[in-house]
Amino acid sequence: MKEILKVENVTKSFKLSAKQRKIEKTDEKIKIAVSDLSFSAYEGEIFGLLGPNGAGKTTTLRILSTLIKPDSGDAFIKGISVVKEPDKVRNMVGFLTSELKLEDFFTPDFLYDFFSDMYKIPTDAREERKKYLFSKFGIDKFAGVKVANLSTGMKQKVSLVVSIAHDPDIIIFDEPTNGLDVITAKVVTDFLKELKEQGKTIILSTHIFSLVEKLCDRAGIIIDGVLTVCSDIETLTKDKSLEDVFFDLYYEKKGDSV
Amino acid sequence: MKNGAFVVFRKEMARFLGDRRLFFTTVILPGLLIFIMYNIMGNVMADTIGSKLTAETNVYAVNIPKGVKNLVESGAFNVTVISEDEIENAKKEIEEKNITLCIVFPKDFENSVNNFNPNLRKQTVPNVEIYYSSADMASSAAYSRIVDILDVYESAVSNVFDVNFAANSQDQEKYDIATNEQTTGTLFASLLPMMLMTLMYSSCMALAPESIAGEKERGTFATLLITPVPREQIALGKVLALSCMALLSGLSNFLGTVLSMPALMSSVMETSDTSISVAVYTPKDFGLLILVILSTVIMYVTVISVLSTIAKTVKEASTLTLPFMMAVMFIGFSALYSTDAKNEIVWYLIPAYNSVQSMIGIFSFNAVTVNILVTAGVNLAVSAVGMVLLRALFNNERVMFAR
Repeated sequence: MKEILKVENVTKSFKLSAKQRKIEKTDEKIKIAVSDLSFSAYEGEIFGLLGPNGAGKTTTLRILSTLIKPDSGDAFIKGISVVKEPDKVRNMVGFLTSELKLEDFFTPDFLYDFFSDMYKIPTDAREERKKYLFSKFGIDKFAGVKVANLSTGMKQKVSLVVSIAHDPDIIIFDEPTNGLDVITAKVVTDFLKELKEQGKTIILSTHIFSLVEKLCDRAGIIIDGVLTVCSDIETLTKDKSLEDVFFDLYYEKKGDSV
Repeated sequence: MKNGAFVVFRKEMARFLGDRRLFFTTVILPGLLIFIMYNIMGNVMADTIGSKLTAETNVYAVNIPKGVKNLVESGAFNVTVISEDEIENAKKEIEEKNITLCIVFPKDFENSVNNFNPNLRKQTVPNVEIYYSSADMASSAAYSRIVDILDVYESAVSNVFDVNFAANSQDQEKYDIATNEQTTGTLFASLLPMMLMTLMYSSCMALAPESIAGEKERGTFATLLITPVPREQIALGKVLALSCMALLSGLSNFLGTVLSMPALMSSVMETSDTSISVAVYTPKDFGLLILVILSTVIMYVTVISVLSTIAKTVKEASTLTLPFMMAVMFIGFSALYSTDAKNEIVWYLIPAYNSVQSMIGIFSFNAVTVNILVTAGVNLAVSAVGMVLLRALFNNERVMFAR
């Protein structure tokens, strides 16, 4: 298997404001979001990052998609550093997260064209892919409706389609099924499988065990910014369910503080 | 293959031109409002100044000589002669606005006037008292008119010399050798630079914070940042689009102002001078003016964009830009009623101030082309520095994603 993503000793910390320190009941001025994280993902697989809220999943994915830079360490996508050559990495990666929003004023049709142009997709290829993706997700009927007037699910589908308009080899999904109804969620997970069959690599984060068990080839469990386990699903769930594996690790790490 | 800056530019323009409401409120409405307001103001001012004296006005007079009475009556006044005892009563009537004023001549006024000998020093001259109310517009208008009439009478009885005497105002104008061109130049140079500076600023302010801080606030900016388009191209596309819109909005304001100028001016100026027109300027003047305006708007947009990027919300952006706004207003007002542009080139190295000086120069026909070019160059250089800053800010995760 060809290694397509390599994360090497990535550490990222944030400064906490006085207000945040109060909320978190801590005197420390710096919060370490991700600590010395290393893992790899291979071509054509779905890799899951599993962890509770605030574990550092989103931070990791934001580093991989070049939105933020790590304090130390580096990540390589097809051998290209996300720190040193972010522009090149952006061309190969599609990133979907709820914090990336689409402008309410525009229609899905306009936004698709706009982002395709940002990725310098030729017009012919753009139209062909738009037709394929819009009909696949049932957006075609709403292509001319302003994003503001779309339902939450439809908005999410448009975001998804726009994020992969440039047909990236690596797709990074932060909580891909959050906020979706079961039917839309299934459309999305089926699509992820389809992408995998096309040879794409998918990195996703979630706190839903079943999603990892159903979809992922390999997974890592992050607790408090530390990758405690990283393995293929069969090995992880050899003796007990993923849920049990997770809670064992969680209590072991947190100890009596829970 | 399209340049990223162009793609961003096109999107921003589509956002602006596609939104009829936004287009109406930022482009059509300001100009229209200015036009309507200035016209109403002009009419109201013309009304209050002109109308009070068109109707027959009642005045009281004490000891008024026959000749003076005729003179006053010929000035559309109804003169009622009263005795000295009635002066106190007359004052009340002025207060109650029944009459406009009361003129009190000394007894034997005509004799004292005729016997007046200018060669005798320290001779007391007769004093005419006029009771009026400055709180009543009709009364004070009548007052100044009566004073004028008495002045004419005074020069008629003891004329030593005249200054610019003329029977009517048309003849009077021959003494003023200023051409229409110069009158327009003086007027425009004293008013327009300040007006243009503030209009351009408010146009930029109406658009830039929304486009940058607004996108940050709504989370749509990050979506641009994960694309491979270099940050400087995103910045350039945004700044250019915002400048275009600000110019459109500024143009609307400017048209509203210029078109309502005749209505406003005819009421302010005594003569109904309609010869004030932009036609006195040459295409070269307009070319230089456009250069100044263009470079100034781009500079404004860049500076406001930088501040809007630092701000977390649109509201914070408008607070952050306050000091900048005050500086712009201050510089703008420094130009009010100044009619001569500075000649030394150093003044044209100061951003914003150079724009004002250049505009004064252009409007008063004293523009030095080199100075204008320096102005445009300096403004564009400031914009370039702003662009570099923008790029750095767009790359700064703490600025772009801080909550």
